[in-house]
Amino acid sequence: MLGAPPEGTRFGLPDEAAARVRIVTTLQTLFDSWGYALVDTPVLEHYDPAHPRAAQSFKLSDRDSGVLALRSDFTPAIAHLVRSHFDENAPQRFQYCGKAWQAINPDFARTREFTQVGLELTGISNPRADAELIHLAREAVREVGLVPRVELGNPGFVRALFDLAEVPEDSQETLANTIDRKDVAGLEEMLDSYKLSPDLKAALLGVADLYGDVTILNEARQLAPWPETLRALDDLEAILAEFEDLDELLLDFGRARRLSYYTGVTFQAYTFDFGQPLLGGGRYDGALLPYAAGFTIGLERLLLALPPHGDYTPPLILSLDDAGARRLRAAGYRVERGLFANVDEARAYTLARGIPYLLSDAGLEALTKNKPEYDDLLNLLEANYV
Amino acid sequence: MSDPDKFTLALPKGRVMEESLEILQRAGLTLTLNGKGRALRFDAGDAIIIEMRNSDVPTYVDLGVADAGIVGKDVLVESGRNVYEPVDLGFQACRLSFIRPKGASGPVRRVASKYPHIALTYLRGLGNSAEVIKLSGSVELACLTGLADGVVDIVQTGGTLRANGLEEVDVIMQSSARLVVNRAALKLKAQTLRPLITRLRELAGSSQKTPI
Repeated sequence: MLGAPPEGTRFGLPDEAAARVRIVTTLQTLFDSWGYALVDTPVLEHYDPAHPRAAQSFKLSDRDSGVLALRSDFTPAIAHLVRSHFDENAPQRFQYCGKAWQAINPDFARTREFTQVGLELTGISNPRADAELIHLAREAVREVGLVPRVELGNPGFVRALFDLAEVPEDSQETLANTIDRKDVAGLEEMLDSYKLSPDLKAALLGVADLYGDVTILNEARQLAPWPETLRALDDLEAILAEFEDLDELLLDFGRARRLSYYTGVTFQAYTFDFGQPLLGGGRYDGALLPYAAGFTIGLERLLLALPPHGDYTPPLILSLDDAGARRLRAAGYRVERGLFANVDEARAYTLARGIPYLLSDAGLEALTKNKPEYDDLLNLLEANYV
Repeated sequence: MSDPDKFTLALPKGRVMEESLEILQRAGLTLTLNGKGRALRFDAGDAIIIEMRNSDVPTYVDLGVADAGIVGKDVLVESGRNVYEPVDLGFQACRLSFIRPKGASGPVRRVASKYPHIALTYLRGLGNSAEVIKLSGSVELACLTGLADGVVDIVQTGGTLRANGLEEVDVIMQSSARLVVNRAALKLKAQTLRPLITRLRELAGSSQKTPI
């Protein structure tokens, strides 16, 4: 029995594989043009129970009884690379591309083996650096041919509200998730159990609805006019001030996932008529490095959002004439070597494989009615015979 | 890019569909099922309606095939899907409870439910390591036949429980119909969905008014 590959993994057939190379090249060229150097990190990592996705890691036992894990993202490894080889307090720009693994429940129809293309800007923390990443996130979506919308948030805003409201530590995560889901009814129920000033309660209720274009910054200022919350808004405004046009940027102050991990701006990119984020990132100073921010693109998501690829085409010529094939390849043509000595068999194979030309002892033969390359190929073959 | 004002709405079959259409129409959407017949995907005017089992609604909305949908909070929590749930529509109110035969005092070793994830989370929260089995039909039967020591199921009036000698031991959560919205759609189709959310909150009750 043939069976299927493990849940959440799949084969990439020629068309998809070619599209992947094209998209990855496009992204890597963009990042490289901004000074992000490509680096490689090991697939095998030491298992770290403190990793936020430790529960979802694929684990392997090492021979000395240590536990290894397949990488589930690149950020810890890049941080390790920076700490061990570079100055962690000076700007460093790195990009990466490779597979990562998460042992999530396959019921959720998400792949468990996936490809991440991303970058990290470490050693510096300022609005200019944040804006560079957000700009590159927007450009990355545009470069692959989609219309980008990048949504920014600042978890510092919700954190400041939690501090002001003295939300108990053990209910912070539930409250943050309720805000993140924009579950205003659930939020109201939770807030009723705290003794809050009407202003603070209104702010915590309202934060779930603080999303839209940049004009909501003013709404946020009115809703939460405390120094701590205003500071979070000022931080975001300073990033926006770096942009010449704000058209494709959106804000959502209700983005409250992983409150304790992200220390500054967070962002995700969307495109029209595709219901899932194409990339996500943010600033996480102090978590793994003194200063670091970055984003990751889910390559498989991106490929799903793009129209059908049609990247792979069969070679142009099937050749039974090795000398002729060499000449054509030298001129840049893609030539497959015929493995059947019999010309009729070779012709049948060529037709079935969708290859337009057959080169044999009998000369060059076009198998399709439309044969735009025929004269060029013939000239090459004849010119070189002289 | 498709028509920016039109959106796709996932609705469960049956009574919830009728109640959903009614509140959406009161919220100002022009929706008609005239000519729908047996079509599962139907252009109803202001929205394209896709009709499905209630437990599939969170999946369609999370993965972005539908921009929005209406589904019970119980089904939504059970699904574990990551969607926005900006409006509690109020109808289809019920509670999800832990139910045992009246007077039962023995250990809880096996629990049956249509909501295995919720049941498991509830039991583990109590420090109970009972086995949880998923059933699809009337789970009360599991209690009556001794298949399980208790069940986790929805209770509306409690009539079925009393008729079968069962009692509610604990209320796990309250449930009612929610408007759920895909994360990207809320932002990219905001000009359509935001006003709809505001109107639905006004219709659904005083408590959820947009504070700004």
